[in-house]
Amino acid sequence: MVVNSLPFLWFFIAVLVIYYLCQQRREIQNGFLLVCSYWFYTQIDWRMAGLLAILTIIFWLLGYAVEKSIALKKERAASLYTNISVTIGIGALFYFKYLNFFAESFVAATSLFGIHLSWAAVQILVPVGLSFFSFKLMSYVLDIYHGKIVHERNLFDFANFIAFFPTILSGPIDRPKPFLKQLKQSRLFKSDSLMEGFRRVLWGMFMKMCIADRLDIYISAILGNYSHHSAISIVFAALLYPLQMYADFGGYSEMAIGIGQMLGFKVAENFRRPFLSINIADYWRRWHMSLTSWLTDYVFMPCNIRFREWGVNGTILAIMINMIFVGLWHGANWTFFVFGLYHGLLFIPLMLSGQFFKKSKVKTNQNGWPTSRFVMQMIGTYLLVTIGQFIFRANSMSEVWGMVGQVFSNWQGNIFLDFATMANAGICIAALIYVDIQEEWFPNYKLRMPRWSEPWRWELTVALEILAIVLFGVFDSNQFIYFQF
Amino acid sequence: MERNDILARVEEIFRDELELDELKLTDETTADDVEEWDSLSHIQLVVALEKDFGIKFSSREILSWDNVGDLVDCIQKKL
Repeated sequence: MVVNSLPFLWFFIAVLVIYYLCQQRREIQNGFLLVCSYWFYTQIDWRMAGLLAILTIIFWLLGYAVEKSIALKKERAASLYTNISVTIGIGALFYFKYLNFFAESFVAATSLFGIHLSWAAVQILVPVGLSFFSFKLMSYVLDIYHGKIVHERNLFDFANFIAFFPTILSGPIDRPKPFLKQLKQSRLFKSDSLMEGFRRVLWGMFMKMCIADRLDIYISAILGNYSHHSAISIVFAALLYPLQMYADFGGYSEMAIGIGQMLGFKVAENFRRPFLSINIADYWRRWHMSLTSWLTDYVFMPCNIRFREWGVNGTILAIMINMIFVGLWHGANWTFFVFGLYHGLLFIPLMLSGQFFKKSKVKTNQNGWPTSRFVMQMIGTYLLVTIGQFIFRANSMSEVWGMVGQVFSNWQGNIFLDFATMANAGICIAALIYVDIQEEWFPNYKLRMPRWSEPWRWELTVALEILAIVLFGVFDSNQFIYFQF
Repeated sequence: MERNDILARVEEIFRDELELDELKLTDETTADDVEEWDSLSHIQLVVALEKDFGIKFSSREILSWDNVGDLVDCIQKKL
């Protein structure tokens, strides 16, 4: 059941009605939400719902054990339980996602030294959303260990946090403190948040169906058959790919956040106009923010603290580890490793020049627009991101080299353009860029509308979004790119 | 060392490291109140504090501070 499908729509309408019918009793509302989340998860992957429940209980018990040990001043025990929880979390990820990859890489590495081992790849079914909910589980115990939160006494509330259906498949990765706090508050029917949530869901559908899925037709045709295409076509398709990724994952995130909002929850934000970034550090503060902020807190900061005596070199090392983690988090493939390494390396000039340590602020002219220097920086950042995404998209490093070879050898051919796709996508991309620019530099600007229509602003916006989806959308429910992670 | 003296010295170190001559710290000050105090400058501050007071913090201590008061308490325990 994909989020932008009819079965989900019926499911969600039924959920909303019952959910707000029991709004006077928070315990019942929370219980109902938990049932819905597990039902939703079983629809996607019924075999793994048991694993989700077992991991939830284990981490809940570990959280209790850590808190108890700290209260009894048993530092070592607290540290031990925390390490166990990290080991289970990473261990589950390792087993389900990386076992074959590391075993095969190890066999390949040993063969370089003349030792011939063999590894028969094991067929392992990866639980959907594991990369997302395992991070939530680990952050819970780590936050208790660091004194940021107290253990949640109510197992069902904790299970609700882990299994929350709008975000279980692909995030955003919520943090325990703000989410658990919301579970303790009553969530009454509020038309404002319902309307705003619905508008965000539609905007997400627009991004996904009108931009991402439309661009996918063109980009897959080119990059999926790169050996038949000219250099210029490959470069053009590669330049569009970051936009596809943004529209796909950003669109999904908008829908998840909007659905959460309709249920009365404030879900973590995931994207903040990433292509208006002026350097790579700025980009990572705006792209998949719930993952990067998680890694900043639980990987980068501990590494940086450990290496603090080494000054800038220590920070560089911490960033490299962090970015390789970002890459490998997406899956077991050397392309993801190289993608992470590439981004890590891009940070080094920023750190050596000191720019990394300063908050980047864009200077604007008297009309509120960024100056040309910053526009150039944004274009430069987009190009750097494109190279990374090019590696990210490929199925293997040999495919990357194949495409690079094609780019440098086949300059004769014409550009392949599918005008219908380009025109459709172009109009929608223009709308996306318009909205991003307006939110970034002109947050108080409101499109002037005839006076009679002012009270109908929301209705008109929603109608326009639906119309755009109907006119420009691709309707064969393409899977979201991030579901595979 | 008195708690107030520690706070004054911490304030001095923050001013030097963050290049903010006017900075005033209280027990309740958090990183959200000082724009220049982010996760990166935090590490520079930790190194400077350790050097100045001649102490060492554990990772857990560093990650558990919520405000300047927590930090000062932690230093006081170690002196």
